[in-house]
Amino acid sequence: MTYLLHVATMIVIYTMLACSLNLLAGYCGLVSIAHAAFYGFGAYVGALLAIRFGCDLLVEMACVTLVVGMVALLVGWPALRILDDYFVLVTFALQAIAFGVFNNCVSLTGGPLGLPGIPPPSLLGWRVSTHLGFLGLTSLFCMITLAFSFLLVRSPIGRILVCVREDEVFAKVLGKDVVRVKISLFMISACFAAVAGVIYAHYTTFIDPTSFTINESIFVISIVIIGGAGSLSGPIVGAVILVTLPEVLRFAGLPSDIAANSRQIIYGTVIVVMMMFRPQGLLGKYRFER
Amino acid sequence: MEQVLVNSIVAASVYALLSLGFGLIFSTARFFHFAHGAVYAWAAYVAFTVSALWGWPLAIGIICGIVAAAALGSACELVVYRTMRRRGASTLTLLLSGLGLYMVMQNGLSLVFGDGNKALRTWPAGEGFALAGARVTGVQIAIVIAASLLLIAVWLLLHRTGVGLRFRAVSNDQDLASAVGTHVDRSILLAFALGSALAGGAAILISLDVDMTPNMGFIGLMMAVAASIVGGIGSIPGAALGALIVAFAQQLSAWWLPSQWQDPIAFGILFVFLIIRPQGVFGQRIKKASI
Repeated sequence: MTYLLHVATMIVIYTMLACSLNLLAGYCGLVSIAHAAFYGFGAYVGALLAIRFGCDLLVEMACVTLVVGMVALLVGWPALRILDDYFVLVTFALQAIAFGVFNNCVSLTGGPLGLPGIPPPSLLGWRVSTHLGFLGLTSLFCMITLAFSFLLVRSPIGRILVCVREDEVFAKVLGKDVVRVKISLFMISACFAAVAGVIYAHYTTFIDPTSFTINESIFVISIVIIGGAGSLSGPIVGAVILVTLPEVLRFAGLPSDIAANSRQIIYGTVIVVMMMFRPQGLLGKYRFER
Repeated sequence: MEQVLVNSIVAASVYALLSLGFGLIFSTARFFHFAHGAVYAWAAYVAFTVSALWGWPLAIGIICGIVAAAALGSACELVVYRTMRRRGASTLTLLLSGLGLYMVMQNGLSLVFGDGNKALRTWPAGEGFALAGARVTGVQIAIVIAASLLLIAVWLLLHRTGVGLRFRAVSNDQDLASAVGTHVDRSILLAFALGSALAGGAAILISLDVDMTPNMGFIGLMMAVAASIVGGIGSIPGAALGALIVAFAQQLSAWWLPSQWQDPIAFGILFVFLIIRPQGVFGQRIKKASI
């Protein structure tokens, strides 16, 4: 039972991550490889606040949103003014720098040894420590993410996003501030990833830099791709499929060191095959065309 | 200070090869070939298998590594990218499938060889000898010479032969080159083969100096991206200068910061360039659709 709850919680966390990336990649056509970096920033900032000051979960999330929003603004402001191809390179750079920071600021992050002993979170006095409680907490925030995406996409802003994705010049002709739209969306997407990071840190009680590498970013991208970019239900379906897939492999009895690598190989193959034959994914509407 | 300069030149010569290889592919095929990093790592491991595991001479190992890299890079183009391009794939889908290929190839490497460090060099490192107030090892001098020769050879190929002329035509304007009867696909394939071979050469040279791990491709790709953007994508003097700037900044930063900050520093430089001069030192102005 605990095991099932764990898998369910991971599915919900990855749904949050994929949903926030989908806003950026699926609705605006901006693929970011730095999603794990923001996820990691959220996890580290949240964990430090919890360990050092014992903050309430909402206080942590407010601080995390502020910090990560600023980082996204600082990075996105120059990056989104230049060519879109370069945006990917900038997020790649950010991912590399973030890993360097997690790994090298030993006094703050514990370096490669990680940050142990993250206490259970308390949300307005509700102290979450059971697996069921965590599933409830994660689902709550996932619902907020999904609801926010739904409202954003259905709003006039959502139509501007799709317009920027389909034809940027046309959006400019209509008098839309394309750069501002992109930067705000990048910040929103980063903040939701960071909130997912806070929950993850509390859930695992231990974080280290290897959880936030580029492979993690690619994993989230593959969830968005397989579920279908540019659809609201896509990330949910993608997360269910790709998180349960390795659990199935576990029952197939592969040794753990081989299993980790073969899992990554499967994700990689999934991306390549989807891109070659069905770029819009299972449920998506966007084929990553420009 | 002399030591900083010497170290920068050694590092820069490898970065220049990497950056040129990446830049050739980027400027011709017009997308971010992510799997380049994995091709780079595979070259080092093939050389390791041939010369350290099977005990064949190092020269044969190096040649096998470079050929393997060229073959892998061409295979990516032939099997995946070309098929996708014929169906009218966008640069974004090509980039994403490159990410997938990177995952497959890098984890394949971990599966076959394990995650531990491997050394291509079988002889002791030696203390090196003094050169203008700095210490260099024989291997490092060989790296600089080999890298310079390769850069010159590529320059000659691109600027003094018919193949090179067609190649430059394709990277300048695909539609126009195709209209005058140039085989665009053939030039792109050449870019992949040549670019991957250069990456393979760089990987092997670097693993003569330091140990290899399956993750080395990530750092290699990072440096290729940083140096080629700083110098200007697709230009040979640009690749060399960009590599020098990045390497010098890294080595200089080691004076104030612990050496593990060198990789983030390279990306700090990349950032600064993207903000103030995104086309790089020698690059042409980027065309952006505007009103």
